[in-house]
Amino acid sequence: MKKAILYLNQFFGQIGGEDKADFAPVINEGQIGPAMELNKNLENAEVTHTIICGDNFMGSNEEEALKTILEFLENKEFDIFFAGPAFQAGRYGNACGVICKAVKEKFNVPVVSSMHVENPGVEMFKKDVYIFKGGSSAAKMRKDVKVMAQFGDKLLSGKKLLPADEEGYFPRGIRHQVWLESEKPASERVVEMLIKKLNGEKFETELPIPKSDRVAVAPPINDLSKANIALVNTGGIVPVDNPDRIQSASATRWGKYDISKMEILQAGQFKTIHAGFDPAAADADPNVILPLDVMRAYEKEGKIAKVHEYFYSTVGTGTTQAEAARMGQEISEHLREANVDGVIMVST
Amino acid sequence: MKLELGNFFVKDITFGDNTSFNNGTLTINKEEALSVVREDEDITEADLVIVKPGDKVRLVPVKEAIEPRCRVAGGSVFPAVTGELIQAGNGRTHALKDCSVLVVGKHWGGFQDGLIDMSGEGAKYTYYSQLKNIVLVADTNEDFEKKEQQKKNRALRWAGMRLAEYIGNCVRNLTPEEVETFELEPVSKRCEEINKLPSVVLVLQPQSQMEEMGYNDLLYGWDCNHMVPTFMHPNEVLDGAMISGSFMPCSSKWSTYDFQNFPTIKNLYKEHGKTVNFLGVIMSNLNVALQQKERSAQFVAQMAKSLGADGAIVAEEGYGNPDADFIACIVALEDAGVKTVGLTNECTGRDGASQPLVSLDEKANAIVSCGNVSELIELPPMETVIGELQSLARDGLSGGWAGDEKLGPSVKEDGSIIMENNSMFCGDQVVGWSTKTMKEF
Repeated sequence: MKKAILYLNQFFGQIGGEDKADFAPVINEGQIGPAMELNKNLENAEVTHTIICGDNFMGSNEEEALKTILEFLENKEFDIFFAGPAFQAGRYGNACGVICKAVKEKFNVPVVSSMHVENPGVEMFKKDVYIFKGGSSAAKMRKDVKVMAQFGDKLLSGKKLLPADEEGYFPRGIRHQVWLESEKPASERVVEMLIKKLNGEKFETELPIPKSDRVAVAPPINDLSKANIALVNTGGIVPVDNPDRIQSASATRWGKYDISKMEILQAGQFKTIHAGFDPAAADADPNVILPLDVMRAYEKEGKIAKVHEYFYSTVGTGTTQAEAARMGQEISEHLREANVDGVIMVST
Repeated sequence: MKLELGNFFVKDITFGDNTSFNNGTLTINKEEALSVVREDEDITEADLVIVKPGDKVRLVPVKEAIEPRCRVAGGSVFPAVTGELIQAGNGRTHALKDCSVLVVGKHWGGFQDGLIDMSGEGAKYTYYSQLKNIVLVADTNEDFEKKEQQKKNRALRWAGMRLAEYIGNCVRNLTPEEVETFELEPVSKRCEEINKLPSVVLVLQPQSQMEEMGYNDLLYGWDCNHMVPTFMHPNEVLDGAMISGSFMPCSSKWSTYDFQNFPTIKNLYKEHGKTVNFLGVIMSNLNVALQQKERSAQFVAQMAKSLGADGAIVAEEGYGNPDADFIACIVALEDAGVKTVGLTNECTGRDGASQPLVSLDEKANAIVSCGNVSELIELPPMETVIGELQSLARDGLSGGWAGDEKLGPSVKEDGSIIMENNSMFCGDQVVGWSTKTMKEF
């Protein structure tokens, strides 16, 4: 019999409600709450442990939570990892995604979750985790757990997996060729699709093009000489010890660094950790990516009122659109609080 | 323009004294056929082999496929290529069906050459495993390109066309089992019943991205790099006006046989007068510079609009850089108010996670997809190899490699192979045969 472990939040782990959302992670032998239902449905594995962590704890102490949970798992034998179902609960969905992604990376076992389509965790983690299309509330617990269990059994049995739509999980952005059971040739498919399009009927493209999320150009700043201008970059400029441990590619983290007392960025004090280009030029002079030297000159000339006290940094290469949008929103909250009027956004 | 294709269905092929067709059996006088091949002094070695579906045979490097045909009233099957320039698409052409002339290099392959398995797991990756094939295995003295990754394959491709004409000639004076008639009234002279149907054009983007002559698809012998889009009767394409080139990664390539039998053209003919008014073909091309790509797109959109097209199908012979031509053409048509469906393959990488086309646009909201060029394929050894198996690993075939850190060489010691779909001979069948599609996982 193979072994499975399930992650739950404080509520489904029967610790308590919102008042217990700061609950630090624990691991329990055996099955608690939905783990019993999962165990009942699994044919090829037994749920040996249940991990429970408060949603807020994971939200505000993600690093610590991950470290603790990965340590719990270090000496456990398991073949598959489950989290949730998280329904439409945003923080829970995020937690399930974070832990599943980390477990997959560290232990290289399949990870399975379930969320409602509107759970933000879907967009953030569907590329990394098999997330099944679940219900919006706990009323769908049995159904969603059953689906997770059935797919888990299939994964463990090594059976050939069907496309995402047929299995029922959110597509992970992985496209492979398959032979159509109908054996309908492309010559017929293309003419049928054209006729439907011409007649205004519904048709289904075989290559869905992702919607581009365009941001409107901001109105110009009326008087630059009164403006507070911030520097933001995706070129990976950080203090040399990279205190926020921003990843060199596929970044999920960003940093905020004080430059209020600096005239320029000194080489040796700052560097780039971006893995997508030759760092030599930026390491020799970080101002080529984050032009503090030029901005200070403008400040002295009175062209701008001031350079915002902090600069913000992340890495653009390989970073998903969803992560980039989240980080952008988080950074812009800081900028708004500090009454920043304009931003110079440097990409590389 | 009225084309009658007289079809003779080949059930068996044998060698014999007289090249002839009798009761479904095609007999070929091997020596006479080889003398036609050797008319070109550049051919140094040549042999003919017959392979049939189910044979335990692997062919590589395959360079071209051609349907044996003859023009009943005389004249070359491939105007301005194998003979005088005459109009194609009008009159009677006889064709030997369910068979093809395959041209295989005796030793040397290149980027544009491919592989065919006639049986086993590998057979499903190419259309040509279903046909009875007359295989010309030959070598040439074209030493200038022997070690080049890109080969023009001129002597071999032209030998294949001469051979297809020589074989096709044996049914010139026979009565075909079936006659397919392809006829379209002039665009402005169609009856009301047809005119009230939505009008559609088929836009083809044959491969023409080599600046040097000798590699690109030819239109009546004219290099498609040297043209702007032009309006054609579909019969011309079906009747030898288009010749395959020798440039594109093989699964994306359209062979001359593919042009002669273009399934999407045949299906538009089938729907003509029922669901659509098939106006004809806009023959475009694929280009290198951005302005060239945009110029072609603009020509296509203008021509479609002037012809009164309500809808269009755009098909590209290639992937990667040509995706920019493909998407630009679809966008130009949509902007002109022509509802458009694209027909292509994708390159999502071995792991399937890469962006499917180099260029994307939300206006390309209707696409039929025929496969992933970089899908990994592992196949067991085959009893007989025609050509040279090492060419897959040695000669820079688009889906083969000499060595790989994880996967090792494409050709293993026991004769088993690992390759990308890229080198399956005309494998993605974007002309319309493809029963493959792409799904998200």
